[in-house]
Amino acid sequence: MRRQVPLILCFVFGVVMMLTQFSPHSFSQGIYEEVLSWALIISPFMLVLGTVTLIQTHVARIRRRTEHWQYSFIIFAGILLMVVIGIPFGPQHPIFVWLFNNVQVPMDATMFSLLAFFIASAAYRAFRARTFEASLLLVTALIVMLGNVPIGDLFWNTVLSGLPWDNGLSDTKQWILDNPNLSARRGIILGVSLGAISQSIRILLGIERSYLGGGD
Amino acid sequence: MEVFGIWVAAFLTLCIYSFLYRDNPFYRFAEYLFVGVSVGYVFVLTTHQGFIPLAWKPFWAAITGESLIGLIKLIPICIGLLFFTRFSTQHQWLVRYPIAILIGAGSGLAIPNVLRANIFEQTRGTIEPFAAIHAGTLSAGEIFGAILMVIGVVCTLTYFFFSIEHRGPIKWVSKVGIAFLMIGFGSAFGNTVMGRVALLIQRVDFLLNDWGGTIF
Repeated sequence: MRRQVPLILCFVFGVVMMLTQFSPHSFSQGIYEEVLSWALIISPFMLVLGTVTLIQTHVARIRRRTEHWQYSFIIFAGILLMVVIGIPFGPQHPIFVWLFNNVQVPMDATMFSLLAFFIASAAYRAFRARTFEASLLLVTALIVMLGNVPIGDLFWNTVLSGLPWDNGLSDTKQWILDNPNLSARRGIILGVSLGAISQSIRILLGIERSYLGGGD
Repeated sequence: MEVFGIWVAAFLTLCIYSFLYRDNPFYRFAEYLFVGVSVGYVFVLTTHQGFIPLAWKPFWAAITGESLIGLIKLIPICIGLLFFTRFSTQHQWLVRYPIAILIGAGSGLAIPNVLRANIFEQTRGTIEPFAAIHAGTLSAGEIFGAILMVIGVVCTLTYFFFSIEHRGPIKWVSKVGIAFLMIGFGSAFGNTVMGRVALLIQRVDFLLNDWGGTIF
């Protein structure tokens, strides 16, 4: 009951969804769409569970007065602000849109742009051309970076103007992206996909049960 | 309201960039606010674009007698509610039911789709240029690229093939695979850095032109 029923449910839903992909019949497509809508209905409950857990964690932080506990109130304020406006009035409400455009989008972009500084310092430490492989990584990264900006081709066309080949850096970058880079990516995609399929089969057959957790 | 929005966005942007000096209360304020607002935003969007149209509206139509078929939505709602048994030590095993359904449906969908999109299509993309070589429509450079692609894919896959020991010729093939992987990682790194730098330029442009425009 506690482990067998979930395993049966997993197998039945998995096999049904797999079979719907092989039949264009309206009955099969109806089942596919219904199960998909079920998954979309169930997923928000996961989000609510995650939000409740986040709130519980921060309530505990406030109770225990751990370091920076005062900032937990800011998380509550952020959630409350968006939910109080967004749930009753919808995501199209002007105040909700204003909050999204002037609070969330700038912070999102700034957080990611902050990584430009850290990625540069990490690269300085990691990209020392000690081995052939590290040198290959370094040279490729430099060509791709310089090939992406106009100054790369400006440098090529002025300093290396003697070469019978204009815009060499951006052309080389594109060739790298289209050939050796793509072949490595294809190798990774094929390997990962074979792993994903075998893992899915193991899950459906009940061999892989780690998602059930421990206990009875 | 627009100028106020620019000032709020500029304040939050500067709060986050203050981390470049060191961790400080302004950065922590922005960081916690970002988490709260993001959680609230996703919560509102999932509710309005998933739960309300797919579950609440059909269910409400069934209650008001417009369409009884909506009663079927009670099943995924009840399954979703089982997530909250996580908070009861006695009944928390029930959380396995929705997880098993989601994982089962996801695995069932993954098998045919991953097989089709990631294995058949990627393999076809790798060997398809050889048909054009046979037809004599490719240039020398393109033929070289097609051969390099096959070598890269085979060598990369060999590197990830752990069922046999990497000795002798296999060792050298996998070494070539590592070289292709390094080029792939270098390209990915270069593109990531340039993406982050583009975001940085956009934020600096916002501070100088949009925010600066409200001051000067």
